[in-house]
Amino acid sequence: MDELIKKLQTDFDGLEISTLAKTRITISTKKESILLLLSYLKRMGYDHLAIISCNDWIKDNELELVYIVSHYLEKDYGPDSEIDKFNIIIKTRIPREKARFVTVLDVFENAEPYERELHEMFGIYFEGHPRLTLLMLERNYKIPPFRKDFNTKKYVDDLYGNIPTIEERKKGKK
Amino acid sequence: MDRNQIGKWFKNPSKMANKYSLHAIYFCTGCGIIEIPPSITTRWDAERFGIIPVATPRQANLFMITGYVSTKTLKAIIRTYEQMPEPKYTVAFGSCPINGGMYYDSYNTIKCLDKFIPVDGYIAGCMPRPEAVFIGVTHLWKLIDMDKANGYKKYRENYPFYRANQEQLFGDLDWPPLFPKENTNG
Repeated sequence: MDELIKKLQTDFDGLEISTLAKTRITISTKKESILLLLSYLKRMGYDHLAIISCNDWIKDNELELVYIVSHYLEKDYGPDSEIDKFNIIIKTRIPREKARFVTVLDVFENAEPYERELHEMFGIYFEGHPRLTLLMLERNYKIPPFRKDFNTKKYVDDLYGNIPTIEERKKGKK
Repeated sequence: MDRNQIGKWFKNPSKMANKYSLHAIYFCTGCGIIEIPPSITTRWDAERFGIIPVATPRQANLFMITGYVSTKTLKAIIRTYEQMPEPKYTVAFGSCPINGGMYYDSYNTIKCLDKFIPVDGYIAGCMPRPEAVFIGVTHLWKLIDMDKANGYKKYRENYPFYRANQEQLFGDLDWPPLFPKENTNG
């Protein structure tokens, strides 16, 4: 792991690398270098993108994207190799208003559903993504529902509370 | 069979036959579906009560909604319910279809299911055990005996109101009304 950290720090600048556990490191980086970093790691053998997730830091007015990369094929590195146990967590921050980011589909093809989900839940527009349509939700929301300023209680009262029961609707009509 | 029910059999055989052979379709929406495999198989054996699971809604007359209903699955639930032949009975599992349960402030979960389709009985609990399911079924027998399990009649009579509620939630529905306006009394 130390070798990898040294390599990363010589090849990239502006990385903040911290070790969370024996087999897990976190890299915080600028948003411009995320594609380079991911393709670099893929060439190193970290060829499995486990998930893309997102945090909403409403006080900093920023969204934090989290990419988790690990090894997919164990046997390439042999049974004694420790390399297949490592998880690498890459974090980057983008502004919250009119959130736009670049897609990583060219590096990892399985990023497509994750990016669609982030698009509908957090309202991040991924440039270059072929189809950013609704994946799980039924309608478009004014504020995407996983953002911190989405008031679920008020939304529920407005939408579901306004639907009358059958008896009420009958009385209202007749 | 109970001997003092023979009178009922002669009086209304089709109702009694319906009552003792409920063909259930399970809608695997929420966590409640976990309770279904033990209750229909050897451990609790729902066939003692005449319940047998069937594959498609067109063969079923008991509709079990197991667990929370999200907005997207409500569409499928309405379509399934409308496909079932009459007489049909609906039983909702758990607290979520009653008032939302633990999802009371979720942006995407239906709070009161009976605003959209009629529900004949609720089995409360989070989740109800298979014993509770059978108590619910025996209670449904009583309701059928007293002609109180009349959700499908209610749906037929009040169809415009149900349809209006569904349209208020979804905007435009992409299927035609089950009962066109000329045929209904509502």
